[in-house]
Amino acid sequence: MSLLTLEHVDKTYGQGDLQVHALNGVDLTISKGEFTTVFGPSGSGKTTLLNLIGALDRPTSGSVVFLDKPIGSMNRHEQAAHRRFHVGFIFQSYNLIPVLTAYENVEFALKITGIRDSKKIHSQVTDMLDHVGLSELMHRRPNQLSGGQKQRVAVARALVKHPKLVLADEPTANLDSKTSKEVIEVMLRMNRELHTTFIFSTHDPMVMEYARRMVEIRDGNISQDTER
Amino acid sequence: MFLLRLAARNVFRRRGRTLIISSILVLAVAMFILFESLMVGMMDVSFRNVIDFEIPHIEIARKDYFTESEKSHTLPIGKRFIPEDRLISDVQKLKGYQAMTGILEFSADFISGRYEFPVRVRAVDPDTFNDVFMNSQYIVAGTFLDGNGPGVVIGSRLAEFFDLDVGEYFVMRFTDIGGSFNTIEGEVTGIVTTPHPDINLTTVFVNREHAAPRIGVEDLAVTQLMVRLEDRELASSQSNALMDTLGGNPLQARSYREGADFLVSLEQWGYLETYFLLALFLLVGAIGIISAVVLSAIEREKEIGMMKAMGMGESSILRLFMLEAGGIGVVGGALGCLIGAVIIFFFNTYGFDMDIFMDFSEIGVPVSGRIYGPWNFDAFLLIFVIVVIVSIIASILPALWAARKNPIDAIEKR
Ligand SMILES: Nc1ncnc2c1ncn2[C@@H]1O[C@H](COP(=O)(O)OP(=O)(O)O)[C@@H](O)[C@H]1O
Ligand SMILES: [Mg+2]
Repeated sequence: MSLLTLEHVDKTYGQGDLQVHALNGVDLTISKGEFTTVFGPSGSGKTTLLNLIGALDRPTSGSVVFLDKPIGSMNRHEQAAHRRFHVGFIFQSYNLIPVLTAYENVEFALKITGIRDSKKIHSQVTDMLDHVGLSELMHRRPNQLSGGQKQRVAVARALVKHPKLVLADEPTANLDSKTSKEVIEVMLRMNRELHTTFIFSTHDPMVMEYARRMVEIRDGNISQDTER
Repeated sequence: MFLLRLAARNVFRRRGRTLIISSILVLAVAMFILFESLMVGMMDVSFRNVIDFEIPHIEIARKDYFTESEKSHTLPIGKRFIPEDRLISDVQKLKGYQAMTGILEFSADFISGRYEFPVRVRAVDPDTFNDVFMNSQYIVAGTFLDGNGPGVVIGSRLAEFFDLDVGEYFVMRFTDIGGSFNTIEGEVTGIVTTPHPDINLTTVFVNREHAAPRIGVEDLAVTQLMVRLEDRELASSQSNALMDTLGGNPLQARSYREGADFLVSLEQWGYLETYFLLALFLLVGAIGIISAVVLSAIEREKEIGMMKAMGMGESSILRLFMLEAGGIGVVGGALGCLIGAVIIFFFNTYGFDMDIFMDFSEIGVPVSGRIYGPWNFDAFLLIFVIVVIVSIIASILPALWAARKNPIDAIEKR
């Protein structure tokens, strides 16, 4: 069953002579429960595509529909509300809140959804930290964690609200291959256990190997789309 | 709640910056508390000096006496009156009534040796005068007036000017009621040093019984009837009450505040100046707050972008930054109040020597020596609230700017 559909999506940055056509007529359908990678050379349009899928941006033309909702034509407040409940983000540079502990960073994602039931929050947060294997370190601040540990906190933060979709733009670009492997394996396990849909972009062939669907993008176009 | 916790942690995390920015606020708060106390202390002493040595709570005189004495340099001795029994019993019925005394005031030149100096002579009845005024308690040499002798009591600065001592000879020259020159001559019986600097230089006390016939007025004539009440707070209401009973009488009653209208306007100026200075400091503080919020928004661009990407609303981010600014305000306000309290503690216990600033009597403020600042907790509360509110208001625009940042930056910026 399809979760997300992009039809004839164009994205153009800038104006006049300085125009950059980042995406040209992209058609893409994502089904529930996928574990998909978007790959391609630098500047090919991966980030632009993920931003549109994640309702962080609007296409210049074409439609982006998420479970019958036209997220591509929402205003920024509607898009924020959509992201708050349905999309989890994992960033390349972790972007944890430095003044909060691992536990509190994960809790933050739940609190902004408006949940007030503290028992429910506590059990969901500890549960998720347990899933990513950080129960022991949950009271540490980000500066007391390694890169891989930070990214696992970020995975827990993205997943704690049980979103339908998790987006990760080059989540392992800052990690060595051993930790990259750890993080991508945690993501894969979450995909299996919680059936959350994952879309991640990467350069790294080793990380790509984990994907069940590989979408290659070149010059703003999907050049290859293979399932394994 | 979690926004508050997050804001508090951010304020604490940037404690260096928090302290630097809030130190401007600390200065504003401490300055305000000190100035306010200085003002209140100074005005309190000034009014007390006026009441105790110059014009007590209520002064009764002919309407034309008041108008003329304000207009001309020479006190209008012609505008005298003889207090009727009706008036005296009305005054005694005033709420908080304590004492009254009649005085006959006129202008004269005080002469001793080769010099002369214009003075205000107060011809008084020593017994009742001492119930209303405090001058006799500040005698530094000799004695205050007694009986009806020709002696005078002068202030210490006048004594210094003429290099006069108790027992030495003087002459006072004045125009009598008939328009011809007349004199009072005698010995200085006492010298006073009051806290009211004007009295020490320009006022001479003489027995009314001795002076009245020499001026050519009736034995019972006075220019003013001075009334002392229990409490300053009663002055205005009781002077108004007296005005009502006086009706169409040519007499007028006024409170010390009307008599000392210069001080009243000075008090207002003082407050205006204090608030102006405060506004200036707060403006600088507000600029500090704005720069703190802008700096913080720039440093935390990715953090803001991430929070927005996660779906946090712009209003929540706005509130977060406003809370952080409010936190700086709370730190500044609290530290300022603390420092202010320490200053007031010393000011209150040890006093403050006003003479090191300037000679206040030269601008007509009756203060000299040490004044003591009172504790005014309302001022602490007021300034604390103001500082916090100003901090929050100053943060609105930069916080809005921060809240509108594009979430995509969080992903792109490395
Ligand atoms: N905000 C922007 N303004 C102008 N051009 C942009 C902007 N973001 C991306 N681009 C351009 O769009 C193209 C695709 O960029 P991007 O989606 O970031 O590629 P990738 O993530 O694959 O490296 C690039 O040519 C890039 O320079
Ligand atoms: Mg990219």
